[in-house]
Amino acid sequence: MKKLILTIVAALVATGASAGTIEMKVYGLVCGFCAQGIEKTLRKNPATVDVLVSLEDKLVVVSTREGQDISDADLTKALTDSGYDVKGITRTARSLDEIRAQLKAGK
Amino acid sequence: MNLVRRSLAGVALVGASLAATGKPIAFSDGTTVMAEYGAGTMKEAQVFYAPKYFYSVGLGYLELESDIDGRRREITYARANYLAKRWNMESAQANVFAWGGAGQAYSSETNDHAFAWNAGAQVDYETRRIYASLKTDFHGSSDFDHRIDTLQLGIAPYEHDFDTLATWFVVQGRQYTGGIHEGGEWALLLRLFKRGAWIEAGVTDDGKLQAMAMVNF
Repeated sequence: MKKLILTIVAALVATGASAGTIEMKVYGLVCGFCAQGIEKTLRKNPATVDVLVSLEDKLVVVSTREGQDISDADLTKALTDSGYDVKGITRTARSLDEIRAQLKAGK
Repeated sequence: MNLVRRSLAGVALVGASLAATGKPIAFSDGTTVMAEYGAGTMKEAQVFYAPKYFYSVGLGYLELESDIDGRRREITYARANYLAKRWNMESAQANVFAWGGAGQAYSSETNDHAFAWNAGAQVDYETRRIYASLKTDFHGSSDFDHRIDTLQLGIAPYEHDFDTLATWFVVQGRQYTGGIHEGGEWALLLRLFKRGAWIEAGVTDDGKLQAMAMVNF
């Protein structure tokens, strides 16, 4: 019983920690091939739902599964292992589709 | 008119075969298939796999035919590419690559096969509007040695994004050693790429087709 309660509490904590959408400022994004590699790497993470790369905004956005998150350390490692420099990571309440629409409208 | 016809034929040819990036390593866990047709003087095909973003390994085939005396060389090789240094800037990237390998070469001068080795390097700088690269590629054997030096300067009329078509106008200067081509060779190229596919075609100052294609996946 104690174990069950602990599991539920842990799940609730994990849900509470979920960001849903993570935005990363990345340096070195200059071509479609860069973006292709980053997208491929991030999609391998089981918590990833979708990935958006904007060369114009030097931005990489990841949406995560409900109740799941990807740590800053894992995100930084994924981008660094892809050959790029992460300059900032922020969690946002906006959905990836909203960000995509805003970027498109801004162009 | 003849130039235009040749150029269009080149685009059609490359488009049909669709196989090249300017970099020997695309991305981590990525496979690159490239093919280049160099004005009747050089034909090359390469397949590389990159376990990490900073190195790749693969196979290549290079065929050279001298437009001076018709001598031919066919080189089949294995090669490793290494990203020695990368600078990631806010809106630009610069790289230094080096590579080396070994294989077998046929030379028409001796009508025989011999062990061959190769080595090269590339430095490049690019933004979404300008591109510059300098590459040197050496192949040697007991029968011959030659080097191909290539300079490319590109300009994009607009800034592309991940899901839009990139268009580049590129000026290429190339120098062959080892009796392959007399003097320097210049070419004007149109480069198009989107996501993992890249095609490039144009004409040299001799009115010959210069083309390249690549896919990354």
